[in-house]
Amino acid sequence: MSNVFNWQLGREMDYPYEAAFPDQQFAFIFNINRCIGCQSCTMACKSTWTFAKGQEYMWWNNVETKPYGGYPHHWDVKTLDLLEQANPGGQNWGGQPDGVKAPYGKFNGKTIFEATKTFIGPEGANRALGYLPTDEEWSAPNRYEDHPVGNEKGVKGQYFKGGELLPEHKTWFFYLARICNHCSYPACLAACPRNAIYKRPEDGIVLIDQERCRGYRKCMEACPYKKTLYRGTTRTSEKCIACYPRIEGRDQTGGGLPMQTRCMASCIGHIRLQGLIELNKDGTWKEARNNPLYYLIHVAKVALPLYPQFGTEPNGYYIPPRWVSRPYLQQMFGPGVDDAIEKYSAPDRELLAVLQLFGKDQRICHRYEIKEGPKVFETEVRGKKFVMYNDTIIGYAKDGTKIIETTVEEPLHVRDAKHANSI
Amino acid sequence: MQLRYDDYFLEAAVFLCASGRQTGVPSLQIARFHRERENLYSILDPDERNTAFFKLHLDWFREWGLEQPLTEVLAEFPLVRERLAVLAVRKSSVKNDEGAELYVNDAGQRTGLLALKPERLAGRRSADFSPLQRRTAESSRTPPEAHGMAALKRAEARAPVALRDFLRHEFAHLHDMLDPAFGYSPALDLPGLNAAQMRLARERYRLLWDITIEGRVAAAGHAPLQPREHHAAAFARGYSFWPETQQAETFASLWQNPTPRHADFLALIADPRELRDAHRPAPGAPCPLCDFPTFHWADTGTLPFEIRQRIAAEFPAWVPDQGLCNRCLETYQAASPSELNPAVAGC
Repeated sequence: MSNVFNWQLGREMDYPYEAAFPDQQFAFIFNINRCIGCQSCTMACKSTWTFAKGQEYMWWNNVETKPYGGYPHHWDVKTLDLLEQANPGGQNWGGQPDGVKAPYGKFNGKTIFEATKTFIGPEGANRALGYLPTDEEWSAPNRYEDHPVGNEKGVKGQYFKGGELLPEHKTWFFYLARICNHCSYPACLAACPRNAIYKRPEDGIVLIDQERCRGYRKCMEACPYKKTLYRGTTRTSEKCIACYPRIEGRDQTGGGLPMQTRCMASCIGHIRLQGLIELNKDGTWKEARNNPLYYLIHVAKVALPLYPQFGTEPNGYYIPPRWVSRPYLQQMFGPGVDDAIEKYSAPDRELLAVLQLFGKDQRICHRYEIKEGPKVFETEVRGKKFVMYNDTIIGYAKDGTKIIETTVEEPLHVRDAKHANSI
Repeated sequence: MQLRYDDYFLEAAVFLCASGRQTGVPSLQIARFHRERENLYSILDPDERNTAFFKLHLDWFREWGLEQPLTEVLAEFPLVRERLAVLAVRKSSVKNDEGAELYVNDAGQRTGLLALKPERLAGRRSADFSPLQRRTAESSRTPPEAHGMAALKRAEARAPVALRDFLRHEFAHLHDMLDPAFGYSPALDLPGLNAAQMRLARERYRLLWDITIEGRVAAAGHAPLQPREHHAAAFARGYSFWPETQQAETFASLWQNPTPRHADFLALIADPRELRDAHRPAPGAPCPLCDFPTFHWADTGTLPFEIRQRIAAEFPAWVPDQGLCNRCLETYQAASPSELNPAVAGC
């Protein structure tokens, strides 16, 4: 085991290999508040990459209803349970936030790599604590769709009084869209006995070498997000490839510019924003104040990593849903939840403008700038003043090409009165 | 009889063994298995490669004794071995899909198909026996046996027994289907039942058949899948309209019956409430016009002549004594606006 620095945990941790970081890291943000569970992303991915024989139960992108849903079933609960067994009562956070090196404080518990030193999981001693899901758990990928949970016991035939009021709804569910997190410390890579899994030095995308894979399924056991899958027809494991031809700018529709993945581009709810991040030598993010991902994750801090306590340093981030039970969200996204929701619920001028970049163009936005516009609205959100300005946000590709120009207020076009359906 | 296996079933069962789910499998053998498996990836032709994988998996399936429970339990059913041409075992992914079916082709060749979850063969460790499973950092080099693996072994020791119980139950179904004395027929010969009643009859058939199989398994000194009380309760639910004494007597006769017959089941499932012979419509019986069960019978003694005529036009065999439900009566009332519904007629 080596000592590597995991900024999401605010500390060093054990990892089977020495730290090695790519020139740029593939990363993405999903705004859960906007997801309607339409599965457009799921089908875009399916119809692009996993439509062949042997891939029937293979969904690189899935959208599950939390808290009950999961693909495979109960993937997160099972891993959390194993960690709790390995370190009873010790999986908690402490310390204070400290810039890009420890934005959420310090995690005092054990990661899946550290827990294996003192605990044998259901699959025996391994490099990362995990389990192999059964076929049954891989079936029914959208199980428990739209099933809510109640924070308190209800009365038959009656709605909760004030159950719809924020900050927490009394009954709630939300959609969690998931793809491979292309982690900085991938558990799949750590566990592979054939060294068939690698992280691309140019963009940090984690891939499985199909020539080397011999179907040991150790990656499936180890990945806490359960995002590597076995294909019976080829007897190898497969996983999300982050649509790397598009990231490389080889999709013709992008005119040579790097493009967001198919699942990001097809999202009708505009919940997704994907980008490439430059890293420091210790794996922390290089300051890029006007990169939308850097801004949302390190400046506004409204986007949080999914289960950072697993210790893989996932590169998928989520703007947590406002209406959901906070302890549940804290377990899922760490201690930054309250601040993130507070900021998102009454966004400041810059945040509101940056949120307009989601889903506006298929090409990857590396930098944005904001042109100030007039004040158009003012109100109070749960006791906090909220002012809306109709600013214009402009997004640029890496080479400086202007790819997005949009305003905070949705443009309204009034047709000429000669048309029958004019307003 | 040939015993055949589905590729995916074999691979999954062997893989579970090799991945450490089964205790008692030597690690050297597991290493050899993986080495041999790795070599097969170099075969380029997909068909050849699949064949090679199948052979390898079958060899290890036998080497690790995974076939043994199947053949041993099968030996208890000579009729099945004698009358089946093939027994094919396929992988089942979900519990509800498990079970045995009989297929007969046009040439009369009989094939049994057994759907089985591979986890039944290779004992599956569960994650909920952790207190005994933990070990400390200082003792991490100590063999796992010394650190509470007894709990694991106890859990796994039950797995083969559960597998044998399950196989015995499913093979007993196949045995009955193949036994001429049982007189099995895939279609239930129950004329006069509507679709809803037929579904109910099938459920009852399944209940009775399971009871007789479990009774015979218990009589032979083996453990049934569920205890007698469980089946008795299920029977009481299925025949809740009978008096308790009749329930108990019938259940006992089924449980103790060494030679049940398909025809006996039909007699018990077709009309257990004896509603067909009832002279007056009974609560919950189906309406003779719409076939929906009803508790709301119309008073046929005061039926207007017009309605009787309309019903007779559509159901010539119907007589008022058979009754009709209130919903049908409403329908025929609404369909006779001129005579019976002056408010509508005046519109």
